[in-house]
Amino acid sequence: MDFPSSLRPTLFMSGPLGLSSVPNLSFMCSWRDALTLPESQPQSAENVAPHLARDLRWEPETPGPFPLLPPSPDPWDPGPTAHDLLFRGGHQSCRRPRATLDVTEQLSRFLWDHGDIAFGPLGNLMQENFKLEGARSRSKTKTVVSVKRLLQDLGGHQPWGCPWAYLSHRQRRFSILGGPVLGGPVASLLGELLKEELAGRWGQLLLDDAFTGGALAWVPGKMPLVGQLVYPNGGALDRLCFQEVSVTPGSDPQVLGDPGHIQLRGPVRQVVTRTVQGEALLAVRSDYHCAVWKVSKQGRPAPLQVLQVEKGATGINLSPHLPGELAVCSRSGAVCLWTPQDGLQQVYKDPETLVFRDPSPWRWADFTAHPRVLTVGDRTGVKMIDTQGPPGCGLLLFRGGAEASCQKGERVLLAQYLGESSPASLSPTLHLICTQFSLYLVDERLPLVPMLKWAHGLPSAPLMAQLLPAPCPGAPRPLLLGGQGGQLQLLHLSGEEVSVPRLAGPPQSLPARTDALSGFPLLEPASQRRLQERLDAPTIGLAAAVPPSASTSGLALFHLSKAGDVFYQHLRLQEGSSFCRDAGLPSDPSPEPHTPTAAAPTPSRTPTPTTASWTPQATAYCSRWLKALLKVPLPPPVWTAPTFSHRHLLGYKEQLQDGGKVLAGLRAAMTQGRLLRQRDVGSFPTAEPPPAPESGPEDELSERLDEAWEGRGADWWRRRQGRSLGLGHQPRRHKRRTQLSSTFSSLSGRWDLSDGPSPPPSPHRTSPVPRPLPPATPHSQGLTQELWTRGVPVERQQTLQDYMARLPSSGLGATSAPPSQASSIRSTPSRQQAPRKKSRMGF
Amino acid sequence: MSDFSGELTRPMAEADQVEKSMLSGTGMSIPWLRKQMETVETGGKKEKDFAKTTSACLGLIQEALLKHQWEKAAEYMHSYFQILEDSDAGKRQAAPEIIWRLGSEILYYHPKSNVETFSTFADRMKNIGVMNYLKSVLLLLQISLQHALYLLHHGMLEDANRSLSQAETWRYGEKSSSQDILINLVQAYKGLLQYYAWSKKKMELSKLDEEDYAYGTATQNMRSHSWKTSVNLSALIQIPGVWDPFVKSYVEMLEFYGDQDGAREVLTNYAYDEKFPSNPNAHVYLYNFLKREKAPKEKLISVLKILYQIVPSHKLMLEFHRILRNSDKEEHHKLGLEVLFAILDFAGCTKNITAWKYLAKYLKQILMGNHLAWVQDEWRSRKNWWPSFHFSYFWAKNDWTEDKALACEKALVAGILLGKGCRYFRYVSKQGHQGLKKKMKRMNRAVKSYSIVDP
Repeated sequence: MDFPSSLRPTLFMSGPLGLSSVPNLSFMCSWRDALTLPESQPQSAENVAPHLARDLRWEPETPGPFPLLPPSPDPWDPGPTAHDLLFRGGHQSCRRPRATLDVTEQLSRFLWDHGDIAFGPLGNLMQENFKLEGARSRSKTKTVVSVKRLLQDLGGHQPWGCPWAYLSHRQRRFSILGGPVLGGPVASLLGELLKEELAGRWGQLLLDDAFTGGALAWVPGKMPLVGQLVYPNGGALDRLCFQEVSVTPGSDPQVLGDPGHIQLRGPVRQVVTRTVQGEALLAVRSDYHCAVWKVSKQGRPAPLQVLQVEKGATGINLSPHLPGELAVCSRSGAVCLWTPQDGLQQVYKDPETLVFRDPSPWRWADFTAHPRVLTVGDRTGVKMIDTQGPPGCGLLLFRGGAEASCQKGERVLLAQYLGESSPASLSPTLHLICTQFSLYLVDERLPLVPMLKWAHGLPSAPLMAQLLPAPCPGAPRPLLLGGQGGQLQLLHLSGEEVSVPRLAGPPQSLPARTDALSGFPLLEPASQRRLQERLDAPTIGLAAAVPPSASTSGLALFHLSKAGDVFYQHLRLQEGSSFCRDAGLPSDPSPEPHTPTAAAPTPSRTPTPTTASWTPQATAYCSRWLKALLKVPLPPPVWTAPTFSHRHLLGYKEQLQDGGKVLAGLRAAMTQGRLLRQRDVGSFPTAEPPPAPESGPEDELSERLDEAWEGRGADWWRRRQGRSLGLGHQPRRHKRRTQLSSTFSSLSGRWDLSDGPSPPPSPHRTSPVPRPLPPATPHSQGLTQELWTRGVPVERQQTLQDYMARLPSSGLGATSAPPSQASSIRSTPSRQQAPRKKSRMGF
Repeated sequence: MSDFSGELTRPMAEADQVEKSMLSGTGMSIPWLRKQMETVETGGKKEKDFAKTTSACLGLIQEALLKHQWEKAAEYMHSYFQILEDSDAGKRQAAPEIIWRLGSEILYYHPKSNVETFSTFADRMKNIGVMNYLKSVLLLLQISLQHALYLLHHGMLEDANRSLSQAETWRYGEKSSSQDILINLVQAYKGLLQYYAWSKKKMELSKLDEEDYAYGTATQNMRSHSWKTSVNLSALIQIPGVWDPFVKSYVEMLEFYGDQDGAREVLTNYAYDEKFPSNPNAHVYLYNFLKREKAPKEKLISVLKILYQIVPSHKLMLEFHRILRNSDKEEHHKLGLEVLFAILDFAGCTKNITAWKYLAKYLKQILMGNHLAWVQDEWRSRKNWWPSFHFSYFWAKNDWTEDKALACEKALVAGILLGKGCRYFRYVSKQGHQGLKKKMKRMNRAVKSYSIVDP
């Protein structure tokens, strides 16, 4: 193999990361990297290094990728967001924001949702101190508390996080007495575990390295234009699908038949495929298992072997040299060479990281140009290990340090061997190393000194990369880089064996899945949000196929999202790109002679980035997919929590009477042929949620404003009061919480107004707040207060019903209709419209 | 004041990551952390409008660059200059570097830009640096260096030289090591330019008659060039790094003036100094120099031996094998075999017909010389993977259709190493090819007599 006869000047410094005094000689300008020094003769300086192709560009054919396959029929839950995990109060400095995990909120949520688990055992112990039914107290002992009275005081729904929540003296006594007993053990036992879990979730949200390498693969088939997409599907990503697709240059891909699938026992994290010596192999990594299949010429997978990895597998790669050889690495720090015939051979084992100490157990292994040498990587560096040599020794290929002028906090996220047995225009000794900031190309013959460095600036972790074959001989090879957030970059690498690898043109970005939004018809807000959420799902796989074509160089690009959606995008090499125009002259070494103005291209050669537009076929794909998506049921609530709300018990009779009003309102509206509004019926006649969110309090307000505008304000007020007073048993203590509570329940807002002469809340305070801001200090006040400072979701009513069923029938006559049915009439609207399901941390 | 110098050398990406990212518990900094946190409403103070617009503008420029919309990027760039007035001193300090990077990138690709525009921009940047915002000379040096490189790339050697000479004079405050290195680099590039001029003169000189009057002045001229050059180059190549173009030209000049010892010292230092990265080219240069110098074989072998340890797949290894093969020592013969096997271990060399030819021939020679143990030594570590790596049925078919000569050489090696039963040998020997009949026969005979496999 030829080694570049003259390398780019580079300063070599050894030391830790982030040595700021090192002048950074790789300036990360794409043009700078392209300039190579002329060789010896000044004459040759005039026709130095191949010119940077200004117009080297892959043009997307549609503004964004479009869905190729129908969505999975299983509901998809996007999981917790930063909003669920972080503390939302407090003062932050602008320059150095700190993320604080909100343990207290999750803990109190747990206490609310799983009170039976949290307090059950203690409750049992203290049973004699509680009196459950409403019967008159016979006991004279002070230590017996009437549950009914306590629940009445709670009012069922105190605003979440409100520091001014009112406490009755009974509650206060109960909380003082019971607090230490009830809160202490739960908080201390659970707090630590919860904090750990939250930190893990937050870390995962920032960087989910489970999908490193990507879980989508393209297995080329018998015919050059037909191949198979291999990807996981299903809600748990545990069904491995094989979908035959034909990519024809110039038209959209054809999905051939239904996908075949294999049901696995765990989520698929990584899918790798390689064709070595005409034999197509497929390797799959799950959390604790790895498996290899052999794909026959007909495209049928035949299982070869399954491997169990006790500590958890973090990476798998197929050898590009020998059929059926794999490199597997696990969290324990072990790297094994695995052949289905001969089994496992441990090559390397070190629980410590390579260069400096880093807590991440992530490990990676790949092959090199020598079939018996593997690379072993972790967050701090990459090492080359000879599998036949003595254990433990090896040579560092990449070091997170001053050698590659790494920044402070820079870590390796992906290491990939770029050599392939295919005819390559790049040397087969190159390795790609990605960190969160930059991309490095390292030649294994000159370790530690990157041949090329490019600051990719991706706003998410680059966990997927793929070097594609050159579209035509002599052209630069496209290198795809995919971020977990869906962002894609395409670099053009060139560098025949005798020259240093370099960027042949400025890197470009490709449309992400979120750019597909414009291809969909406009939807009503709820569906639009659902669609957007789906498009925003993290990317977990990337595959590309280059269909051979005589006329145009095309690139078929497939994305896989965490929701299991496979999107497709077609790219075309721009006409202006000189590389493939004269394909007969690969790597033409004689560019036109330079004049000082040669840098200015003639206007005719100036690329005009054509604006891609949606083709009818693509939009058809989009709307078909969307239709199917909207049919997919929403993820069911994870768990229906018990509730202590008792207002259904206390107030359902009045609500029943409302039913008549609903009917009357409906009839009136029908006869008049006008829209039925909420004020006409008081509340909604069925449990069906209205489409507009947060209509409850707003309607209240607008109704009032309407009346006031027509000069009937006082009238209305009296009327409201009258109605509210009818609900005689309602607690009257919500005065101050009105503004916040309106967020939770349209009902409470109305009832709160019952407090006689107090002025109604001012309009701006009633405006719906999507999520209330917790006060800055309540956490010091302990859990007891927060317990009831929260709205009661409707899903708990089922549990309440169960709870009620256990109670002996009280004098309230709950036999004629189940209370939950009645209550749902009132309370469903506001709950169902909650902007987003609160995640429950998987309890 | 000089505190800023450290900050300024930080690359752009880092300059704005300082605030955007945070070292999370693991010590890893996450550039997208800020974005995640922005989704959560915090009660903290918000970014100021000014900062918001500038960072938005930066985002737009980067986006336009990645979409190759040079005109659009240039327009945004106009607005971005407001960052020079940022009230935040840190940002203001980092601004010129960002502007230079983005600006040069835009102007390099912009369809209406040319060398003049680029140079004007570079000069303005230098002025901004000198006059207002730069407290450090480092960025200035970097700009000059890149500007010079750009000019050099466009064949404008004189302008490049001017840019570098100008940069050489800039120094500021206390001398820091990074400033020194950059100055050295500037000087080295200047030296390289002088070398180009010298090289041109040398060409002209070769055309002149030695008796000519002009010859004398020309040599005079050259000498002065070379002296300046060596001063410029020698400082940099002492600093650890990869300095291939500089070393090459320096050595050429030293050699031209007969300073063989100086050249040898430079090359030896470049190859063997432990502070330097293990650059294969350093050894190649040294080897080539020694070869030119007609150094003794032992010396050449010792240089190549080290290269062999670093890069066993280097193309010089075939030459190394030839030298070893022709040596008188037995250990060299053994090493020669090792070298050949090692070359063929690499994925990029599997179709190197010369290597296969050498191996086939050498195997016969070695086995004839009764050194079966050597072959077995080499074969022991390869016998479990070479058969499927080189001698599989797939390769037999493939090689035969692509390159019959290669297939024959490989078949011979396969036959010797694996015996007549091996698939590769069987496949190739069965392909009755008219022109190769004789060869086949010879191959069969060779395999019969030399195969290391017991029949």
